[in-house]
Amino acid sequence: MSTNDSVENIQEQIVALLPRLRRFARNLVRNPHDADDVVQIAVERALLRLDQWRSDARLDSWLFKILRNAWIDEVRARARRAKIMMPEEAGEHIGAAVMEREIDRWSAETALARLPEDQRLAVSLVLVEGLSYKDASEVLEVPLGTLTSRLARGREALQEMLRLPEGGRS
Amino acid sequence: MTISDETLMAYADGELDAAGRASVEAAMREDAEIGKRVTRHRALRETMQGAFSAALDEPVPDRLIEAARGRTAATGAKIATPQRTVIDLSPAREAGRRKSSAVLWRWQPAAMAASLLLGLGLGFWAWHGSGGVLIQPGAGGGLIAGTALSEALSTQLSDDRSAEHVAVTGLSFRNKSGDYCRTFSLTGTDASAGLACREGADWRIKALAQSPRAAANPGNFRAAASEDSPAIRAAVENSMDGEPLDHAGEIAARQAGWRLRPSADHKRPRSQSHSP
Repeated sequence: MSTNDSVENIQEQIVALLPRLRRFARNLVRNPHDADDVVQIAVERALLRLDQWRSDARLDSWLFKILRNAWIDEVRARARRAKIMMPEEAGEHIGAAVMEREIDRWSAETALARLPEDQRLAVSLVLVEGLSYKDASEVLEVPLGTLTSRLARGREALQEMLRLPEGGRS
Repeated sequence: MTISDETLMAYADGELDAAGRASVEAAMREDAEIGKRVTRHRALRETMQGAFSAALDEPVPDRLIEAARGRTAATGAKIATPQRTVIDLSPAREAGRRKSSAVLWRWQPAAMAASLLLGLGLGFWAWHGSGGVLIQPGAGGGLIAGTALSEALSTQLSDDRSAEHVAVTGLSFRNKSGDYCRTFSLTGTDASAGLACREGADWRIKALAQSPRAAANPGNFRAAASEDSPAIRAAVENSMDGEPLDHAGEIAARQAGWRLRPSADHKRPRSQSHSP
C-alpha cells in the first residue's frame, strides 16, 4: 500500500497548495470563476500525471506549469470556438500620464493586473509566489535571461504605478 | 563602478552567488545610490508579497479540494478524468466482488445505450438472453426486468455464482423508499450491469450500464461486475439506505418475496436505518 499512501500524501500536499494555485490562477486569468476552473483542470491533470513529477522538483512549480498550460489550452479552445477572444484589458495600454492624472495611487493588485501578461506572470511567480528565477523560467518555459528581463521590466512599471520611494535608475 | 539594475534586482531577490553578492555589497559601500536602488527593489518585493498574502486566507471551494483528492465528479472540468470510486460498500461488497473485475471496462451511461437502441429501431436485441426476456419497457414508462431477469433477481442469492444463470446478482440493499434493490450483471454476450428495485410485482430498472466492448469481444468473459460500473456505483450510493443485506438478510428478503410485509406494504414506510 506504500504507493497508495504516497499518492494520498501528494494529494494532501496539493490540497495544501490550493490557496497558492488559486492566487496564481487569478493573476494569470483575472476572472475569479475562470481561475477556479483552471485550477480544477490543472489539479486533475496533475493527478493523472503524477508519474511525470520528479520528486526532487518542487511540487508548486510543477503545478504552476500545469496550470499555465491548462490555461493556454483553454484560451486556444475558446478562440477556436470563437466565443470569447479574451482581449487583454484596455487598461494595459493606458499611458502613464492618464494613470497619474486619474488615480493617485494604484493598489498592488490593480498595478499587477495592468502589466502585459509576460511581465505579470514573471512578477507573479517571483515576487508573489516566491519562486527562484530558475523555477519561474521553467514554469514559463523561457530561458533564464528572458525571465529576468521580463521581471525587470515588470518591476520598473510597478515602481512607477505604485510610486514607491524614489531610487536611482540604471 | 557600473552595475546593472538587473543585477541589483537579482541581489534583492537573493539570486546572486557569493561572488556576485560580494561585488554588489562592495558597490553599495562605495555608492549610496546603489543602496537606494536595492532598497527600492526590496520594498517592491515586500509590497507585492503583502498585497497578495490575504488571498491565501480565503476559503478554498470544496470542489477543488475534492479534485485534489482525486474525487472529481464530471463538473465543469473540460478534460476527461478517470472516475474513482467514492463509495465503500464494505465487506458485503467485497464478498460480492467478481474475479472479472480485473478487466477495465469502459462504461456508457445506460440511458444513452438504451435510447440509442430504441432510436435506431433495433429494439431490445441486447436485452434478450438465451434464457428469455431480460429487460422490457414497463407500464408507465421506464424499463423493468423481463421474465428471465426477474426470475434471477427474485431467486438468486448474491453468493450464487453459477454461469448457468442469465444474470448474476451482486449487492442487495434497501433504498430510501424502503424498497429492496439489487445490482445485477447479465451473463450473456452483452456485458450489461444494472440496478433494479422491487416496486410492486416488478423489478424496475433504476440504472443500466453497458460496456461497448461487449460487441467487440463476445464470449470472452462471463460477466462484468456491476460494481465496476461508475454509473451503477453512483446509483447505489445515491439510493442505498443503511447497510447492504448480508446472506441471512437476503434469504429473509427472498422469503418475503422482496416485498415488505403485506401490512406494511401499503404504507411503504422508510426502512429502519442500520447506520450507526
